[in-house]
Amino acid sequence: MKMSKTSKVIIYILLGLVAVYFLSPFVYMFFTAFKTEAEAIAYPPKLFPAKWLFENFVNAWKAQPFGTYLWNSILVTVGTTAGQILSCSLVAYGFARFNFKGKNILFMILLSTMMIPWDVTMIPQYMEFKMFGWINTLKPLIIPAWFGSAYYIFLMRQFLMGVPKDFEEAARIDGANSFQIYWKIFMPILKPSLILVGVLNMISVWNDYLGPLIFLQDRSKYTLALGLASFKGVHETQIIPMLCITIIMIIPPIIIFIIAQKYIVEGTSGSIK
Amino acid sequence: MKKRLAVLLALAMTGTMILSACGGKEEDGKTSDGKVKVRFASWDEAEDVDAQQEMVDKFNAEHDDIEVTLEAYGGEFDTKISAGMGSNDTPDVMYMWNYPAYYQGLEPLDSYIESEGADYKSNFYDTLWNYNSLDGETYGIPIGFTTHALFYNKDIFAEAGIEEPTNDWTWDDVIAASKTITEKCEGKKGFSFQMKPDPYDFEMYLWSNGTAYTDKEGNLDGNLNSDKAKEVFKMFQDMEKEGYAVATEKSGTDEFRSGNTAMYVYGSWSINTLKEDGVNFGVVDIPAFAGEGDSVSILSSSGISMSKDSKNKEAAWEFIKFWTSEEMNKERIGRELPVLHSVVESEGIMEQPEYTAFYTMLEQSADYTPASFIIESWSELSENLSLSFERVFNPSAMEDVSDVLDEAAEQ
Amino acid sequence: MKQNNLMKKATPYLFILPWIIGFLVFTIGPLIFSLVMSFFDWPLTADPTFVGIGNYVKMFTSDKQFLKSLTISLKYAAIFVPLNMIIALFLAMLITQPVKGVKIFRTIYYIPTVISGVAVSILWGWILNGDYGVLNYLLSLIGIKGPKWLVDPAWALLAVIIASAFGVGSMMLIFYTDIKNIPIDVYEAAAIDGANPARQFFSITLPIITPTILFNLITSIISSFQQVTLVMLLTGGGPLKSTYFYGLYTYNNAFKHHKLGYASANAWVMFVIILCLTALVFKSSSAWVFYETEAGGTEKKKKRGGKK
Repeated sequence: MKMSKTSKVIIYILLGLVAVYFLSPFVYMFFTAFKTEAEAIAYPPKLFPAKWLFENFVNAWKAQPFGTYLWNSILVTVGTTAGQILSCSLVAYGFARFNFKGKNILFMILLSTMMIPWDVTMIPQYMEFKMFGWINTLKPLIIPAWFGSAYYIFLMRQFLMGVPKDFEEAARIDGANSFQIYWKIFMPILKPSLILVGVLNMISVWNDYLGPLIFLQDRSKYTLALGLASFKGVHETQIIPMLCITIIMIIPPIIIFIIAQKYIVEGTSGSIK
Repeated sequence: MKKRLAVLLALAMTGTMILSACGGKEEDGKTSDGKVKVRFASWDEAEDVDAQQEMVDKFNAEHDDIEVTLEAYGGEFDTKISAGMGSNDTPDVMYMWNYPAYYQGLEPLDSYIESEGADYKSNFYDTLWNYNSLDGETYGIPIGFTTHALFYNKDIFAEAGIEEPTNDWTWDDVIAASKTITEKCEGKKGFSFQMKPDPYDFEMYLWSNGTAYTDKEGNLDGNLNSDKAKEVFKMFQDMEKEGYAVATEKSGTDEFRSGNTAMYVYGSWSINTLKEDGVNFGVVDIPAFAGEGDSVSILSSSGISMSKDSKNKEAAWEFIKFWTSEEMNKERIGRELPVLHSVVESEGIMEQPEYTAFYTMLEQSADYTPASFIIESWSELSENLSLSFERVFNPSAMEDVSDVLDEAAEQ
Repeated sequence: MKQNNLMKKATPYLFILPWIIGFLVFTIGPLIFSLVMSFFDWPLTADPTFVGIGNYVKMFTSDKQFLKSLTISLKYAAIFVPLNMIIALFLAMLITQPVKGVKIFRTIYYIPTVISGVAVSILWGWILNGDYGVLNYLLSLIGIKGPKWLVDPAWALLAVIIASAFGVGSMMLIFYTDIKNIPIDVYEAAAIDGANPARQFFSITLPIITPTILFNLITSIISSFQQVTLVMLLTGGGPLKSTYFYGLYTYNNAFKHHKLGYASANAWVMFVIILCLTALVFKSSSAWVFYETEAGGTEKKKKRGGKK
């Protein structure tokens, strides 16, 4: 599609303005991470640090066993993402492409599970995991993801509902069964939305700290997000190390996002509809 | 359809069983090599945990039959302890401050203390025991404390050319100094206090002025809204109204550190940060109300408690003893104020000017009981009081002190 | 033949089996447990006592905060949900524009979503501080006296909305993925028919992404009612309880006041409210959401795009 010069200029202006809005807190955070604590809270505020304290990052990383935390975070993130992609696409396929008895009720129940706030189911859930012997292991953070989450199932179902019905009919005539159709035909064309689910899940798990907080106990099991939160004390917060770790923690998701957005665009889009 | 549901249920049950089987249940608080396991939860964060871990390791090395594991919950300590208690999975030993909220889940320690002999107990500052017990039973052993004191910035006082605060100051002196500082030093305020003070902390000002939130029976009316109480609130509100004090959104430490305010009242929590920042500060007793005798401070006490459901109470007590010993009090200096007479003497704590005020305040505050120990549903009342106080101090509300307190006392 | 038929009937259930197992093992137990709890006075450390519907009665008759918090959450949802969706959709359209360097902007817009919540709220606390905040300092440079964002109840809800709008990235990405999946030939056909970009948006893009709009609508209604972390860390429910959201109210009842039974009752009331809202949205959705599976093929849609 061609675009006139004026509309291009307008688009760039809009893109730029929004970018300033989104970036400015981040930029401020970035520069602050190199300051001393005293400088960080000084008023009137200055953007640039008087002296660039690169050692802030080293000190922050050394303040806690972040190497261990990183490994745990990777385990949980990879473990859940694989589980979510597989289970959610299966379940969403079931809900989107079939008619069966009780479908609407089951789907409503599925949605309902998103609506009960975490605070009141947390304690019974804790007891259940304790019964399983899962407390202070990464299991409660990973295993449930292999049984699907309502949010992603709903999301994938919406995408799947957008695929025309005649699409699988052709395959069925060729004699493929439902699982073959799901695996060989739908998985490839759903690549963009599978990647989307992967990215969304990765970010939320990477940053989740309530789950790890409740189910983990000693530092050997902690995740990055939990380590980050433990810079916040009962009375005082160690703000500089917290910002440093925050910045380090942003890097992996950003890299993955940059890679992923290529696939979202390059999905076999044209051929779906 | 029904059949299929039955199949599904059966499948789910098998799933559950497999899952719980592969968890491998722990035997009653024992590790695989037969040691007694003790879980210990603390609220320390980041580097402090390393120091704690070293000490825990030391304890473990000295005891062949006990293994203590450290669980550091940081700022989310209360959420974590609540979740643990609610799910019957409380750590064997834990730090504790909010006894009224948790005492039903804690083991009374009096018999353990007695078995250690009289000297064990008397080495602690006496006032601390009040804050670690409830209804005559002791639920925790003190490991640290802080009272509040007046912090002041020496550089700002020099700039304004006035005398620095002393232990004999009254609030009138504070007000006079604040006026001068606010007028002479551009962009600076003389005094700061919290816009939304924790009601637990704020009661010390009422005590200092000869009243309290409640009487011994828990009646607010006639106490919280007494003239003496109203006087206190009015004083702070006036300072704010007239512009030489600022009500801060948070604790006030940031404003003090950055040199925007010259004085504030706070606990010893900020001393390390202020030192690191190189702030030229001094600490003196909380100012008194003219004609009311010595000022009084609230005590924020840190204790160490045992879960009443612990399966290894003896090992837990062994660890508590270790954690409250002289050695450990010395080890914690810099993070906690020592609670043992012997340690305060041997380490010369009273010779360090930034600490003395906190001990003076401790001694002056012996006979007061906070409302949280008297009123059954304190946590909810505290939330309501907090709102009332904010209505008085929030600059966009600034409601009439008398009206607000009368209304609050009716609750 | 019979075998085959049974297999065919069982197939859909096999697909959704993982979720059913997960639901039975991980979800239904705690769910029922919390419902049972709501009929008890259930303190954290002592034994529970049965109170029947007492908790519910108390909530509706003597607890003033219940209605106040509910109103605040409703108000927040009413502003936040549409606002967030419009911004997300607008941004998604913006980052699909075929201009150079758009990839970089895409990444920039996504950064705020990636930053951990704890750090974000502390950062916002600094930026929005009334006397010593960065934002008001910048405003003062151009001669504007900024409001006391987190102190003045009139501004606090707005401050929360501004801070939470930074998390719009996920929703943007969902819209973006969906828009990217629209075949280009649909647009080309429309362009030949002479439809301008605005027209193309309203008659092609919007109808095709209605399923995603439905998704975002429902999930953001749910999440706006459950908003806890941000307000807890940023405003603590203040100033003067003006941001004491329903989620925070429930959380505090459970973890601050240790009234697990009462908090469960709070949660179940909220559950019913969200359920009703969701049901309403779903009922209405048949009028405005277009599924290909139901519409029966692409022809219809193309026509809609081309001729309207």
